[in-house]
Amino acid sequence: MIYLDHAAATPVDKRVLEKMRPYFSDDFFNPSAPYLPAKKVASDYEAAKATIAHAIGAKASDLVITAGATEANNLAFSAASKKNSVLYLGTEHDSIRVVAKEHGGTAIKVLPNGLIDLNDLRNKITDETEMISVALANNELGTVQPLADVARLIREIKLDRLKRGIKRQLLFHSDASQALNLLDINVARLGVDLLTINSAKIYGPKGVGALYVSHGAKLKPLTLGGGQENGLRSGTENVPGVIGFAKAIEIAKEHINGNRKKYANLKKVFLDELKNYELINKKHSLDNFIVVCFNGLDAERLVFLLEEKGIYVATGAACAASKGVRSHVLKAIGLTDTQIAGSLRISLGETNDESQIKKAANIINETVKAEYQRIKNSHGNQ
Amino acid sequence: MATNKKVVYVGMSGGVDSSVSALILKEQGYRVVGVYMKNWSKDLPGMKCPWAEDLADAKRVAVKLGIDFEVWDFEKEYHQKVVEYMLNEFKKGNTPNPDIMCNQEIKFKLFYERARRAGADFIATGHYARVIDISNPFATTGANGEASPVTTGASDEGREMAVALARAVDENKDQTYFLYRISDEALRHTIFPIGEMLKPDVKKLAEKNGLHNAYKKESMGVCFVGEVGMKDFLKEYIEVKPGEIREIETKKVLGYHEGAVFYTIGQRHGLYLDGEKGVENDGLPYYVVKKDVKENVVYVSKNLNHEAIWTKELKLKNIFLRQKSLNSAKEKDIKSSVLVRLRHRAPLVKATFDGKTLHFENEIKRPATGQSAVLYDGEVCLGGGIITE
Repeated sequence: MIYLDHAAATPVDKRVLEKMRPYFSDDFFNPSAPYLPAKKVASDYEAAKATIAHAIGAKASDLVITAGATEANNLAFSAASKKNSVLYLGTEHDSIRVVAKEHGGTAIKVLPNGLIDLNDLRNKITDETEMISVALANNELGTVQPLADVARLIREIKLDRLKRGIKRQLLFHSDASQALNLLDINVARLGVDLLTINSAKIYGPKGVGALYVSHGAKLKPLTLGGGQENGLRSGTENVPGVIGFAKAIEIAKEHINGNRKKYANLKKVFLDELKNYELINKKHSLDNFIVVCFNGLDAERLVFLLEEKGIYVATGAACAASKGVRSHVLKAIGLTDTQIAGSLRISLGETNDESQIKKAANIINETVKAEYQRIKNSHGNQ
Repeated sequence: MATNKKVVYVGMSGGVDSSVSALILKEQGYRVVGVYMKNWSKDLPGMKCPWAEDLADAKRVAVKLGIDFEVWDFEKEYHQKVVEYMLNEFKKGNTPNPDIMCNQEIKFKLFYERARRAGADFIATGHYARVIDISNPFATTGANGEASPVTTGASDEGREMAVALARAVDENKDQTYFLYRISDEALRHTIFPIGEMLKPDVKKLAEKNGLHNAYKKESMGVCFVGEVGMKDFLKEYIEVKPGEIREIETKKVLGYHEGAVFYTIGQRHGLYLDGEKGVENDGLPYYVVKKDVKENVVYVSKNLNHEAIWTKELKLKNIFLRQKSLNSAKEKDIKSSVLVRLRHRAPLVKATFDGKTLHFENEIKRPATGQSAVLYDGEVCLGGGIITE
C-alpha cells in the first residue's frame, strides 16, 4: 500500500496511541468525579489541554475542546449573531461554507493562484460585518493564505470603526486543521480571534479538535449540560482523545522543520516523474500537497484504477467526489470543468519515503497513459 | 482500428446483477457504456439514501472493465412519473407498484430513448428476464441461446423479428413481473445478459472476475424506501389522519389507526388494537381485509376465510397486452387460458382472461387494488393490468 491521502486522514502515531492507552480502561474516571483517582484524570486532562494551547501560543483556558474541526468551526460562527454578518473565503471547507450560508454569509473571491483577493475582501466588509473566516491552508489545494495581511486589514477596519463610534465586533477566524505539522502557528502572530485546530490530520486520534477563543469573542454553547469546556460544549471530557491530541501536537511541533524539508524533497521526486502534466497552484501550497491535472481524464477513474494497484489518492475533497459534485475549490480558482474532472490530489505524509514516491509516481504515470490510450481506442470505434 | 462493434448502453446500479451484465456484454464483443441512473438521492429520517455508494460501486466496476461510464440524472422525471403517481395512488386507497412504473417510464423509456439518441444499438439491464424470438412459429420459444443478441442478426434497428418477453431461467429470481409494461420497441432493443443464468452463477462469475461487489447485499423492494418501510416513507408526504379500526363482522371499533391510506390489505402488523374485544379473544392476529379511504376506516378480521379475503375473479384496468393473440382474444371475447402472477415471486396460478377480468380456477387471496396481475402463456409474458376489484 502506498498511501497518498494524508490530507484526508493520518494514521495515529504509535507514541500517541501509547499515551492514550491507559485512559481507556485504567484511568477511565470521569474528570468531574470527587475521588482522588478522578482528580488525577482531571489534572492530566488539563495538562494535556495546556500542551495543546501552548503549541499555538495560547493558554489552556482559551481552548474549547470539541469533537473535531467541524464542531469547532460551527462553534466559531456562533460568535456572529446577526444575519449577513459574516464573510468567508470561497474555497473554505463545507464545515465553514454551510454554516456561513446559514448566517447569510458572503464569499470572498480567490485569485487564480488560490490566494485571497484582498481587494474583494476590503470591498465586501461593511459596518454590519462581525466575522471573517479564512482558512490558514486549504484542504484541497494546500494553499497557504497570507493571514497576516488579512489581520492587518481587519485591524485597520476596527480602528476606523472605533473612530466613527461603531461598537460592532469584528472577529477573525481561521481553520488551521490542515497545517499544524507544517507551519509554526501562533495565535498572536496570526492575529486571529478564533482558531480551529484538529488532531486527526496530525497523526492524532479522530474526533478531537479545539477552538481557540480570544477573550473578546462571545460564543453561544454548542451543547448544554454539565457546563464543561467553559460552558460552551457540555459533555463528559474525551480524556484519551485529548491526551492523544496533546502528544500528537507535541510531536508535530518538534518536527515542523524536518517535515517541511522531507516533504519538499519527496514532492520534487514525485514531480520529476510527472513533469509533463499540469500542476495546479504549486506556488503557494503546503510542502506536502500536490494537485495535478490530467486534462481530458476523469480523475475518479484514476482513483479506482490506482486503488487496484494499492495506491490511494483523492480527487479534490473526498466528500465532493463521493457525491458527484464538482469541487467548488477548483472552480473558485478558475479551473474549467474538464480540468476539475481531471484533477488528482496527492498529499504526502509520514507513511511515505522516497522509494515509495518514485514507485507511486511511476505507476500513476503508466495508469494515466493507459487511460488516455483507452479513451483514444474507444473513440476510434465509434 | 475502426470497427463496427455494436454499442450497448447498460444501466448499472452498483449491484452484482448489472455489473455482471456489463461484464458479459464486454466479453461478447460489444462496445459497452455503463450508465448510472440517478433517480433518487434524498435522505429520509432513519434512512440514508445509498446512491453515492451505489454510484461509486457501479463506476468502480466500469473502470475495472475498462468501459466508459456516465451518470444520467432522471431525478426530476422520476419524481414526476413514479413518486407522484405512487403517492396519488396511495391517497386513493390503492397499493401501487413503483418499480413497474419505473421500468415503464424511466428505464425502458427515458433511459432507452436517451441511449438510442447517444448511438446505442441496444440497452441492457441486470434484470432476470429474457427476450426471445417468436417470429418463427416452428421454433420452440426460449430454447437456450436462441435469444442471444449476437446470433439474432440484430441490426442498428435492433432485432427485426418479433420478440417476446420471457421469464428468466432462474425462476426464483424472475423479474418479468416488474417488466410487463415496457414497450415492444424498447424490448426489441434490449438485452438481458443474465436472463439465462442462475443467481449463484452470477455471483460466482463476478467473483471470478474480481468484481468487488460480488457479494454486495441486495437492495430489496423499492429502492428509495429501503429499510424505513413504505408507511414511514408515505408519512413524509401524506398527513397522518387518525381513524377507526373496525372488525368487519361486527363493525365494532377495535382500535385506531393513523390513516387508512397507510394500510394494505393482508397487513397484520402496525395495527393499534386496544379497544373493545372482537368476536372472541382467542389470541389470533387480526388482518386488514378492507379499507374505506373515504370514511378513513380500516376493517380487520381474524377469520382467514372471510369472504372479503378470497375471490375467484379480479377485474383489471390499464391493461397492457404484449401479444397480438391476446389482443384478438379481447376483440372476439374468447376466453384465453393464462397463468397469472399476482406478486413478484408469487406462484403462477391458472385462470382465463376475457380481456377485462381474470377468472381463476381456484379461489385466490384478494390482492390489494393497485397491484398488478401479470399474465403468462408458458414462459412468455403476455402483459397484464392493474387490479381494481
